[in-house]
Amino acid sequence: MKVRIRRFDGQKEWWQDYEVEAKPFTTILDILNYIRENLDHTLAYRHSCQMGSCGSCGVVINGKPALACQTRVGELKTDTLRIEPLYNYRVIRDLVVDLTDFVNKHRSVKPWMIRKNPQELEEAPSEFKVTPQQNLTFIQFDYCIMCGVCLAACPTVAIDPLFIGPQALAQAYRYIADPRDEGFEERIDVLDDSHGVWRCHFAGACSYVCPKGVDPAKAIQYLKKEILKFRLLRKRKKAVPPAEIVQKEPPPNAPKPPPFDFKFEGGVE
Amino acid sequence: MVEENKRYKAGILRSLWPHGFNIERYTYTLHRITGVILALYLIAHVFEIFHVALGPAAWQQTLQELGSLGIFEKIGLWIIAGSALYHGANGLRLILNEAFGMLLGKPVLPEYPYMPTSLSRSQKIAIYILTAIVVILWIWAGLYLLEGLGIV
Amino acid sequence: MPGQYSLLKESWNMVLMYALALIMIFVLTFHLLLVSPLTGRTFDETLTYSFVLHNLTYYRIVFGILLYAAVIHGMNGLRIVLIEWLHVRRYQWAVNLLIVVLIAVLLALGTYTLIVL
Repeated sequence: MKVRIRRFDGQKEWWQDYEVEAKPFTTILDILNYIRENLDHTLAYRHSCQMGSCGSCGVVINGKPALACQTRVGELKTDTLRIEPLYNYRVIRDLVVDLTDFVNKHRSVKPWMIRKNPQELEEAPSEFKVTPQQNLTFIQFDYCIMCGVCLAACPTVAIDPLFIGPQALAQAYRYIADPRDEGFEERIDVLDDSHGVWRCHFAGACSYVCPKGVDPAKAIQYLKKEILKFRLLRKRKKAVPPAEIVQKEPPPNAPKPPPFDFKFEGGVE
Repeated sequence: MVEENKRYKAGILRSLWPHGFNIERYTYTLHRITGVILALYLIAHVFEIFHVALGPAAWQQTLQELGSLGIFEKIGLWIIAGSALYHGANGLRLILNEAFGMLLGKPVLPEYPYMPTSLSRSQKIAIYILTAIVVILWIWAGLYLLEGLGIV
Repeated sequence: MPGQYSLLKESWNMVLMYALALIMIFVLTFHLLLVSPLTGRTFDETLTYSFVLHNLTYYRIVFGILLYAAVIHGMNGLRIVLIEWLHVRRYQWAVNLLIVVLIAVLLALGTYTLIVL
């Protein structure tokens, strides 16, 4: 099988061809490993877990951004492989791209739990309760592994490098939809910015290429709806009531919990 | 952070070239191109209609200068009519998507093979229906525009 | 993130676009029907001075709504396309200025046309 790889050494770019034997179930990452071990030791690329959960090996395969470790030769149905570094990023070397902006964009939407009273997080006497139905409204967007493949597919990132991007917007929606979170007002300044959520025109390419089924496009459209609701109707989702800081006294007649005396039976003497 | 205009930028071709991606990205490119066509036409159209205010002679003069009876102008108008039809129909779908959160499906637990619900069934059906309506109306408009030329 | 594109908040900008788009779906359909076969004329006959004048005066308010909706929606859309393209502060100011001037000129011409007739 003929493999064409887009190379870059800091100054010049070129296509380099390799001849590799590949079976239908060989992954692209296997091919890259084989090339580096046997054919060309100078080829640079990122990888770590080889099972699609670290998100390091995003490359463009035959024009479609994907994870190298999850793409098999058989499903591509071509004789020639064309491997390029991810689009819309600055290339550092060969298939390695600069993810600094990507990480900063993710950080800018405050992807963590925000409570108006921070004491609740520090000294909560009990858990914040989330029902399975509530969990289902945001758990899909929690599966993001930050591989950056969606930004390589996004047509807006191609012309606006400051656009926050589908990954960060999906994460923002994940926390906004979470009933435990109260940080909507803190995030809206970044989201409703010139480079924020309204630069998305729903091309849907991010969802199409996402290797974990996160569906960022859906999250972004729901986010737009939430922002419009907030701006037009001053409405937003209610957060779960804060955990009580002072624990209530149990009623006097309440049945006492059985004492904790656990005996391991049938154990070794 | 790097300066705004010194960042890496893939460029407008990468943005508008949808090959190898999903059908929604084709609709994005078309929506953008038809929008620009319509905006440019709108400028010309307002200037053109302005000549009505100057009297019948000026209007005839304008029509002759534009050569509105020629075939190339008719084809141009046909493309503009198609742009308007497509931009309107697709814009309606986008408003349903973006402002009302419709046609997207509910958030689900992702399971392999991952089929994004925002790009599946209802979305595709909406796109096919709007394409069918636009194509039928566009052919109708084409027949009507070319009627006077004796071609149809 | 630096760089605010417009004076309006982006969400209000989009609310404006959506609202005008929904208005235009009805009004522009009406406008296209006025030059369609349903009028019983060929396309060239719809361009005669008397027919155009009759339409513009008889449906003056409809065309007024269409003019304002179309010019603002169209020029704002053009502005978004142009401004997403290049991120130099000076270029963006130039585009904003150009669009404001264009909107003013087109609305002046159109309003004059509708009032004078």
